[in-house]
Amino acid sequence: MEDHEQSRNAWITKDDPKLVSGKHKDMFDDILDDRRHSSDFRWFTRSRDVPNFKLNKPRSPDEIKEHVMNSDRVKYAIEQVCKESNLPLSEVTIQAKSILDEMAHNLRLGAVRSFAYFLIKAMKKLFKRIYVNDEGVQKVREIIKDYPVLVMPTHRSYLDFLLVSFIFYNYDLPLPAIAAAMDFMGMKFFGWLLRNCGAFYIRRSFGDDQLYWAVFTEYVQTQIANGDNPVSFYVEGTRSRTQKSYAPRLGMLQASLETYFKSHTPDIMIIPISISYDRVLEESLYAYELLGVPKPKESTSGLLKARSILQEDFGCVHMFFGDPISIRQYSDGKVDRSSHNLAPRYIASLSQEEQELIRSLSHHIILKHQKNMVISPWSLIASILVQCKEGITISQLIKEVEWLKRQASSIGGYIDWPGNETAEAVTRHSIALHSNIVRVSEEDIVELLHIPRVSTNKTDPLFQTAAQHIMLSLYRNQLMHIFARVAIISSILNGCRESTLSIDDLYTSYTFLETLLNRDFIFQPGHSKIDFEQALLTLTHSCGVIVENKQVLVEKSVNKHTTYFSQMFEPFLIGYWILCRYLLSMDPNVHGKPLSKPPKSIIKDAQSLSARLITEGVIRHYEVLSLDMMNNALNSFYFMGAVRKEKRDGITYMYPSMTPLSQITQQLVKCVDVPPLPSVSINVDAKTVTVNAKL
Amino acid sequence: MASKIQHCIACTTKNKSVAGDSVNFHSCSAQKINEAPTIPKRRQELLKWNGWGYKDSKFTVSKDSQIELSGERYRLSGKKLPHLKDWISAVIGVNLDYRAPAQGEITAADIPIPIKHEEFIDDVKRAGISFSDDCQDRLFRAHGHTLHEIFRLREGTFERIPDLVVWPDNHNEVVNVVELACKYNVVIIPFGGGTTVSGALECPPLEQRMIVSLDTSQMNKILWVDEKNLTVHAECGIIGQDLERFLAEKGYCTGHEPDSMEFSSLGGWVATRASGMKKNIYGNIEDMIVHIKFVTPRGVMEKNCQVPRISAGPDIHHFILGSEGTLGIVTEVTIKIRPLPQCKKYGSIVFPEFQNGVGCLREIAKQRCAPASIRLMDNEQFQFGHALKPEDSSILSSFLDGLKKFYITKLKGFDPQKLSVATLLFEGTKEEVAAQEKRVYEIAANFGGLPAGADNGERGYMLTFSIAYIRDLALEYYVVAESFETSVPWDRCLDLCQNVKERLHRECKDRGVQFPPYVTCRVTQTYDAGACVYFYFGFNYRGISNPVHLYETIEGCARDEVLANGGSISHHHGVGKVRKRWLKKTVGDVGLGAMKALKAYIDPQNIFGNDNLMIGNL
Repeated sequence: MEDHEQSRNAWITKDDPKLVSGKHKDMFDDILDDRRHSSDFRWFTRSRDVPNFKLNKPRSPDEIKEHVMNSDRVKYAIEQVCKESNLPLSEVTIQAKSILDEMAHNLRLGAVRSFAYFLIKAMKKLFKRIYVNDEGVQKVREIIKDYPVLVMPTHRSYLDFLLVSFIFYNYDLPLPAIAAAMDFMGMKFFGWLLRNCGAFYIRRSFGDDQLYWAVFTEYVQTQIANGDNPVSFYVEGTRSRTQKSYAPRLGMLQASLETYFKSHTPDIMIIPISISYDRVLEESLYAYELLGVPKPKESTSGLLKARSILQEDFGCVHMFFGDPISIRQYSDGKVDRSSHNLAPRYIASLSQEEQELIRSLSHHIILKHQKNMVISPWSLIASILVQCKEGITISQLIKEVEWLKRQASSIGGYIDWPGNETAEAVTRHSIALHSNIVRVSEEDIVELLHIPRVSTNKTDPLFQTAAQHIMLSLYRNQLMHIFARVAIISSILNGCRESTLSIDDLYTSYTFLETLLNRDFIFQPGHSKIDFEQALLTLTHSCGVIVENKQVLVEKSVNKHTTYFSQMFEPFLIGYWILCRYLLSMDPNVHGKPLSKPPKSIIKDAQSLSARLITEGVIRHYEVLSLDMMNNALNSFYFMGAVRKEKRDGITYMYPSMTPLSQITQQLVKCVDVPPLPSVSINVDAKTVTVNAKL
Repeated sequence: MASKIQHCIACTTKNKSVAGDSVNFHSCSAQKINEAPTIPKRRQELLKWNGWGYKDSKFTVSKDSQIELSGERYRLSGKKLPHLKDWISAVIGVNLDYRAPAQGEITAADIPIPIKHEEFIDDVKRAGISFSDDCQDRLFRAHGHTLHEIFRLREGTFERIPDLVVWPDNHNEVVNVVELACKYNVVIIPFGGGTTVSGALECPPLEQRMIVSLDTSQMNKILWVDEKNLTVHAECGIIGQDLERFLAEKGYCTGHEPDSMEFSSLGGWVATRASGMKKNIYGNIEDMIVHIKFVTPRGVMEKNCQVPRISAGPDIHHFILGSEGTLGIVTEVTIKIRPLPQCKKYGSIVFPEFQNGVGCLREIAKQRCAPASIRLMDNEQFQFGHALKPEDSSILSSFLDGLKKFYITKLKGFDPQKLSVATLLFEGTKEEVAAQEKRVYEIAANFGGLPAGADNGERGYMLTFSIAYIRDLALEYYVVAESFETSVPWDRCLDLCQNVKERLHRECKDRGVQFPPYVTCRVTQTYDAGACVYFYFGFNYRGISNPVHLYETIEGCARDEVLANGGSISHHHGVGKVRKRWLKKTVGDVGLGAMKALKAYIDPQNIFGNDNLMIGNL
């Protein structure tokens, strides 16, 4: 940049705010900046000053494995399996050994260094900047000396795995042992490399395989107790294809925290890390996956193909290291660790209180994740565009985006909005970054692009369009958590036909929707009342909702805010309603019980119904084609008693329970405008859906 | 000290019901002893009124900042301790320029006016039982030795102290006093050696009845020794050192050596379930007891025989053991004796780290070859012991030099900041000791341990005797400190030590203690199924307004941590008042209810209303 002349003080040579370096931003620092200006070689070969857990007894990966095999827990499990299966001890021991060999990492600094070298090259290509909150990392540095650490990042891309290792390497932190899914292991070179960089492989499900449980538990626990490495895993269990937080999976957390509950360690610190991407590497992959196009198996060549991805611009990444959560403080007064005093600690057990605590903690972590996410302007834009499928002028778009930005900020979202740019510049820049989804036409109309997908002719054009819409919705999903609670209330108010609604009735409806939607959105168990009151307060304070004498004045309260929020939610409620209708249509009234089906076919059939309704023009939300949404809805119905499970030949079948299901449907219809469907019949066997009545 | 005091064996004038023709008595004349008992009625003449132990023994700091132990009683006495000053300044941040001297005598004016039941006093007088209402006599019996009690003596006043002190001379006088107490509804708090560290002697502040401290110190007679059965029958007030000295003259010992044995009494051991250092050979108090005579408001409770074992329902001895003065008073005890060992030898083992030591102790316990005593000190405690090394060490081989030699030669690789030392005491015939030594050192070698000489062993044991005196020195320089203990299964021993220490450090940090606390532990007893762990914890309280409260809060956290780590409420200190809140959790509702039911039957008026253990709302 050239010198500017407006300096008022001689010693300020440049005070144009636009000249502020992008390296620092609020609490974030760009770690790529230094790497762009100095030698990568020196960076990855430098000596690292790594803090170590004070009670750690140094062990090699092989010594860890040796410990696991000699542990009371594994010996006990082997003994049990021998008893039950009548297999000889030696054979079961070999089984245990092979489970361990399949699982264990082989973390070596040499491999880490070469990996780091590869990573820095890739990261610099992919991203403009990688922002990290330095303060959070320094806290981790300190805490790692005193306590075993669990690193728990959000999981919205494959890159999460690489980024966490990369950041830990960059900040001279001990490399974490990362729980990875088996599909990584299948990749020849990368599987090996990742193993040498600290990945350990966990099977997706191992049910009641007690040998696997024992090896897995001991392997995780011994590393936590001895603080060999920080242990990293994803509380959501798998990559979130929807870019919303997935409901937590508890297995790994349970295994980890048992170490504390059984007093192997003085405490365990959990570091929630929120990773926000301006643009998600797997966006189109996710869209097709959600629609049910089979997911390609990860393979090295697949990843190499991804090299072409290296040519693209993926904007910035923000990594926020949240405040460490001390499990001791979190569980203080809620669990009694002495309940484990009466049995040897190697026999797996968690008390009722501990299980409930873990459930609540897992939600707490995800809510922390959400709180620390960075919302990109593009998320705001996508949220507007999702509701304006026909296109919108850029000036109108900017107005709406700025409005939405204010709403998100006031509820507590952190928006990554550069202060030194005009709204138009920001908007145009974001659109440019996502030119594979949207474009600005010559008339300055912002509209969706068609995604050319030549390779799979089989794909229905409907699904191709849907994929494009879903891709857009992924980015809207990135900010849905901010609005979830106010949107629930808004939907109820919008659907209300009365002139007033008592707070109590509102709360009843709120808890209904919260229960119904708690797989699509994350709510802290037991916090409904607080959440409700907080959200209502937000609506009355800054969104024009009026409450008098414990009554909401509905007519006066319905306004742009409530309408916008409820429209945000509409696709979900419609989706759930479609599943309701589908399940209701299963009632044959002949043999006294609806036909049972495997959950997968229920979901597929419901998707067919959605497709039909979209084609007919009854429904305009392509999102309802998402299998993920249908799956969440089905699970909710199951937990609400509207769907029942039974096992046939060991396979789960489901069938609706009509009375609770119709009740849910009725309540749902109160909150969302649904198209009139007097009666619907669905011919399941022919895989076609016929809607009888005039639509 | 007490060499001039001769012990008489006095039989009570009452006829004793003695069974068996094989009994051979060392009887003695029934005449009253002319000489005063070791501990006089006016205890304050011999013992510190506001600190631990003898008046003449005290750690002092000279003008040139030299620390030494005054008097002549102990091996450390009169020797300068050149390393101690640097150690306390480096480890606890003590600056000898900042002193916190204790207040002067607490006088009658500072002491609550006694509640007097005149008829009771008249009847006591009429019965010829010795008593006193002197305020110093009463004050001395108002407390034990927990931190808050000693701190109160140094800095504060008492809300409630005993209103009267009585000194019965024998079992019958005790029966008499208890009967009178029941008649006039007066509270009795038994007082033995006064060394309790559970708050057991504190008077319930809201008690409106007269409180009588029943001091057993005058009941210190040995009534008979039975060499055929190897038992001794003595009155409850005899203190440990006197009992052992008397028995030693006859070639015997009980072998019961709690750290407090200079002052604590036989009755007190029974009432608190005491444990002695050499329990590996002689057992804990419950293993030694053959017979107990117990005076309760319901009458005297005792068995009609003195047998090695009995199947007669729940053992009534176990109602008495650990009853902490809530049910009655132990007046006479028959306890096992053993011939004095021919050979007594100290030893020590250095381990590279604490956990090697724990592994070694576990193995020794497994093989059941533990010597009379084996204790494993962590590094912090080893350093402390080392700091107590006297200047004049011509007799002792200088540990430091010895250690240096070790480093250069054998111990290469031992980190002085990590190593851990086990101290050993062997007893038996020469051959037995030699065999034991060999076996123990062989096991130790398997855990990386190396023999480190007798002196280091002896110094370790010395530390336990002097530590109580050191606490008074610490208080003089703004340090609050205390010990606590627990028992724990072997598999959780190491984790418990580590987690409790960590918790103490963390609580100090979180609660604003300005200086690093001193936290240390040792595995002090081994059993088949677990160990006893002993902690010392202290911190420099400069800058803190309510140090005792803070100390107790943090110690409470540590106890919570102990329980969460599979440890117990107490191994031998007992419950008293300071650990009451964990009792229900420890024994459960039914367990507690059973204790309360026992109390309700034996003492319906709550005459023994010292508010310990199960009494009142927990």
